[in-house]
Amino acid sequence: MTRRPAPYAVAVGGAIAITAAIGVVTAIGRISGLSAFYLLLVLWLGARWGRGPAVAGSISAFALYDFFFVPPVGTLTVRGPAELLELVVLLAVALVTSQLAASQRRAQATAEALAKDSRALYELATSMLRSQDVTAALGMVAESADRLKGVSRFAVVGMVSGQLVFLAGKQLSADEMSQAQWSYANGKAVGVAIKDGVVVPLKLHGVPTQMAYLPLAGGVAALRVDANNSEPGDLRTVAALIGLADLLLDRRRAVLETERARGFEASDRLKAAILSSLSHELKSPIAALRAGLTALTAPRAGLEPEQRELLTDMDRQAARLDRMVGDMLALSRLEAGVELDREPHAFADIVGGSLRGLRSQMAGHDVALRIPDDLPPVEVDELQAGRVVSNLVENALEWAPATGAIEIGAVAREGRLEAWVENEGPEIAPEDLDRVFDTFWTRRARGTGLGLAISKRVVEAHGGTIRAENRRRGPRFTFTLPLAGVTAGRAHADKSTDK
Amino acid sequence: MLVVDDEVEMQRALRAGLSYHDFDVRAVGTGTAAVREAAGWKPDVILLDLGLPGMDGFATLRALRPMTRAVVIVVSVMPGEKDKVRALDAGADDYVVKPFGTEELVARIRAVLRRQADVPSGEPVIRAGDLEIDLARRLVSVGGQAVRLTPTEYELLRYLALHAGKPVTHTTLLRQVWGDYAVGDKYNTRYVVAQIRKKLGDDPANPRYIVNEPGVGYRLEA
Repeated sequence: MTRRPAPYAVAVGGAIAITAAIGVVTAIGRISGLSAFYLLLVLWLGARWGRGPAVAGSISAFALYDFFFVPPVGTLTVRGPAELLELVVLLAVALVTSQLAASQRRAQATAEALAKDSRALYELATSMLRSQDVTAALGMVAESADRLKGVSRFAVVGMVSGQLVFLAGKQLSADEMSQAQWSYANGKAVGVAIKDGVVVPLKLHGVPTQMAYLPLAGGVAALRVDANNSEPGDLRTVAALIGLADLLLDRRRAVLETERARGFEASDRLKAAILSSLSHELKSPIAALRAGLTALTAPRAGLEPEQRELLTDMDRQAARLDRMVGDMLALSRLEAGVELDREPHAFADIVGGSLRGLRSQMAGHDVALRIPDDLPPVEVDELQAGRVVSNLVENALEWAPATGAIEIGAVAREGRLEAWVENEGPEIAPEDLDRVFDTFWTRRARGTGLGLAISKRVVEAHGGTIRAENRRRGPRFTFTLPLAGVTAGRAHADKSTDK
Repeated sequence: MLVVDDEVEMQRALRAGLSYHDFDVRAVGTGTAAVREAAGWKPDVILLDLGLPGMDGFATLRALRPMTRAVVIVVSVMPGEKDKVRALDAGADDYVVKPFGTEELVARIRAVLRRQADVPSGEPVIRAGDLEIDLARRLVSVGGQAVRLTPTEYELLRYLALHAGKPVTHTTLLRQVWGDYAVGDKYNTRYVVAQIRKKLGDDPANPRYIVNEPGVGYRLEA
């Protein structure tokens, strides 16, 4: 501002200089239209210094020209509309140019400010991305926001297991935290909006709200906008900063999720290791027991028949203990949450595998299979599904009369496989129909009480259901398994490789 | 016959039980001792526990396989099918899950030995019940009735027949029948086995010829 007089001096001086030049030229020979040089001066003044100097230049130019060249020379009289027009033209040029120049200067100033802001944001974003610590990076964002005159408070809070916690910036009061919580839970901004990349403070009943809240990916940005002190670009910068905070919160959430998954994985590995070592510890003694007992039952061992019988009984008990331990370990595995290895399988194939393992127990029983040839494949974990079939068939063998028939059947119904195992044994009391699937519930001392409980867990892990009912012939266990959806296409593809 | 198990009680019980069934049994407790015995004493059968201290069962199996033609039966308390597959792919002839009774073990050993005796006879026709596979003429018949198989189906059946009685893993079948690129897609073997069974008139739920080894692969009943 203090340098303002100099442009006015240049304006007046310029007008005088041009007047002198015109005077010299006119002395040599009469040339019309020289007054256009004044226009150049006024244009230049308007572009360089704006309205004031340009107007000053116009008036001086008009006065000087009128005084020295317009007859009567030596007087400042305005005669006729032509002369007046000249003054008006000069003034108009002065005003228009200065206006244009001024708006251009303003645009340039804004561009420079924006460039400065973007540079600062860019530097912030780069250092943020380099930083491993997301909370520290959020701190940087908050500091940058704090430096802005248009923002009097800024804070970022983030979600941690369903609870908002303070992460960076100026501490929030309990009330403010609950407002932030509300904003996050409802996904609604309070007191502020972001429009076209600029933060716009909203007025509530004509009064600007105290704190404003913006819900983000994994938290909330809380800020108070001070519109009176705001410098141009502040509201744009703070919007960009909020965008950065959003990215950081998102990244923080991803980091937390990865850590959690890693934790689960580690605990799964631990569980598997414990179960596997437990299995070894429990089964090894039984293995030695059975190997020893059965070694002695060989005729060559030279024992008396009743001694052999006694050993055979003992081995049977050892085998039962082995089954019990096996069932308990299987149940623990299921409860620890096994991963199912699901693939398309023919249900008949699964039944075949299961029945093979039960061949000695099945001797003497009439096992009827009602499994249609055209049954679509099931999408299951082969071993687990086989366990269900084995358990149900074992259960049926246990209850069927010595030579009683057992039926194993399956149909495809409503997009699922429905399979059943039925025997001719005594019916299950109606109040027990649900309880048979409870852990350790058994109708007889012989069973482990785990087979049906395991079956239920396996079936449910596949998204199926299992139930017991009394049919005319005897009890029937029915369960469902998911059918494979993609098999038709794949079977076709395999066929084509068969040429 | 060589028993490799780190538990003395198990060693003692197996030595007694197997000798009552006319086996000449020696027992060792470590993989290194097993390798030494296999080189010096040359047993016909090695019963190898996978859970050995130090050099574990798999490492022992890998060390044994190139140096002996003995039948290797793997024994484990782990019911994990991955271990069975790994052991079979590493060259084991069969596996038995602990605990087992002596009779059952003896039956398994005899079956493997019988099978091994059959193989080098150079017999061009393999029989399983009324199923006949003529390797020289590439002909398959059931009860004298010829069965037409596609080349892939024939190759798979041939491979199972050459290893009749032995569980063959999906991985091995895929590699032998389709080549290395196919390894991993067990659906291929399942699909082809289903086709073969259909042509042989075999019921998958109660198979006479090709038996499903859940989680492992298939076995042609010897």
